[in-house]
Amino acid sequence: MPEDFRSSIVLYLIAGAVILFVLGQSVFFLVKSWKHGKELGIDKSKLKNAITSSALFTLPSALSVLATVIALAPALGLVIPWVRLSVIGNITYETFAATEALKAFGVETGITEAVTSKEAFAGVAWIMTLGICFSLVILPFVAKPLHKKFLNAGKKKNADENASTEETAEASTNGKKKRGFAGFVDYVTPALFIGLIGAFVTNSILGSGKADVNLDGAGVLSVITLATAIVVSILLELLSRKLRLTWLEPFVMPLGMIAAMAVAIVVYNVAPEIALIEWRG
Amino acid sequence: MAKNKKQKSYYDKVHGWGRVSTISALCVLLMFPAAICLYLGVFPDLSLLFKGLLKVLPLYWAMAVVEVIFYTPMLGAGGTYLSFVTGNIVNLKLPCAISAMENAKVKANSEEGEVISTIAIATSSIVTTIVLAIGVIAFAPFLQSFTESPLLMPAFKQVIPALFGALGAGYFLKHWKLSVVPIFVMLLILVFVSDIGASTLIFPGIIVSVLATFVMYKVGFLDKKESK
Repeated sequence: MPEDFRSSIVLYLIAGAVILFVLGQSVFFLVKSWKHGKELGIDKSKLKNAITSSALFTLPSALSVLATVIALAPALGLVIPWVRLSVIGNITYETFAATEALKAFGVETGITEAVTSKEAFAGVAWIMTLGICFSLVILPFVAKPLHKKFLNAGKKKNADENASTEETAEASTNGKKKRGFAGFVDYVTPALFIGLIGAFVTNSILGSGKADVNLDGAGVLSVITLATAIVVSILLELLSRKLRLTWLEPFVMPLGMIAAMAVAIVVYNVAPEIALIEWRG
Repeated sequence: MAKNKKQKSYYDKVHGWGRVSTISALCVLLMFPAAICLYLGVFPDLSLLFKGLLKVLPLYWAMAVVEVIFYTPMLGAGGTYLSFVTGNIVNLKLPCAISAMENAKVKANSEEGEVISTIAIATSSIVTTIVLAIGVIAFAPFLQSFTESPLLMPAFKQVIPALFGALGAGYFLKHWKLSVVPIFVMLLILVFVSDIGASTLIFPGIIVSVLATFVMYKVGFLDKKESK
């Protein structure tokens, strides 16, 4: 039986060790940043809110990551997809890498059929791992200089602001305002975030999926889900501000997300023929 | 001055921990396929392995470089090391960090932002890892019927619009001046290349967004009310 080697207890133990390492790293950084947050005098409730809202925000996505593990399981068993998606893994990458790796080993059925060859199984593990690991190779060299550059730009801006305080009055009387590159730094992060969020938002409105797959491209259901998420989040945000419900703040985005997913379920089950309309395939 | 010194030393420490843990993670990660080979007593044919790698490496190694450059400033020091080890950056770690920093009203390039984003990303990583572990170990036999049940399936197919809609709502409102141009350009790109995919669209999106913001900043359009 092919399942024998793909789901042996030893493989589970090897995977467990890898996953424990990752978990340990996250716990380590969580503890260190929590402690430093307290040193900086950040309100404990802010730190707690960051944890609760992140956990809630992550839950629905984590379930969909789990769905990818399950989707790859018929071919590869659970162990490889489990490790791959716990370490660096990414939904779009893993399916592509697994399919290409299997093809290279002559398994033309890709991820739809169980892998019976041990060689192909080991080959897939190598290809998926080597393909994804490059960021970890360069990160130790480039993360610090990149990050410092970003921080220094921010510091330079502060220094510029202090230095130009005396000039401000004069400049404003001339009706001109100095707009140096350093002052632009404050807008860089919002601009980056908008590019990132906007890509997913616009793709839900006009992006196409695969012709033979339902609900993967932009259509009625993706737009209804998107609109619900936006409207519910804004309403909750207004509600928490008007009524000063500070406890609600960390839950605004997760609740908007969950409400939108709930509406998707309702719409699909009430009017499936309308929900399935995808204008871009 | 004293604060600057302290700040520097905290960031240096984070980079120190980050480097050690990233290199360790790389070793652990590479040991996984090696352990599989040892356990199964096989080693894949090198020419086949190379053939497969040729399909995957050029694209993903190039993407790794781009991702490191683009995401490092957004994730903060600790968040960067954690995110690149645990993955799902654009669809999970970054949204979590952005949302947490918005809630806490801290800037990404401040030390407070560093702390909050690291806490958010660490929590997100822990939750994902635990959900996956429980899912795989305890519920594996039933999971497929759960995520693919006709009743719940649409929700799992719509995770992305739900997540980015909820995240984008407040962000676009707050920074509406910065949002109009990139959103319009990205929609325009999609009109012509509808199958570009969100993960590729991010890069032109970010470039347009930063350039448009720079132009608006230079002409003074952002001077008044745009919150930073």
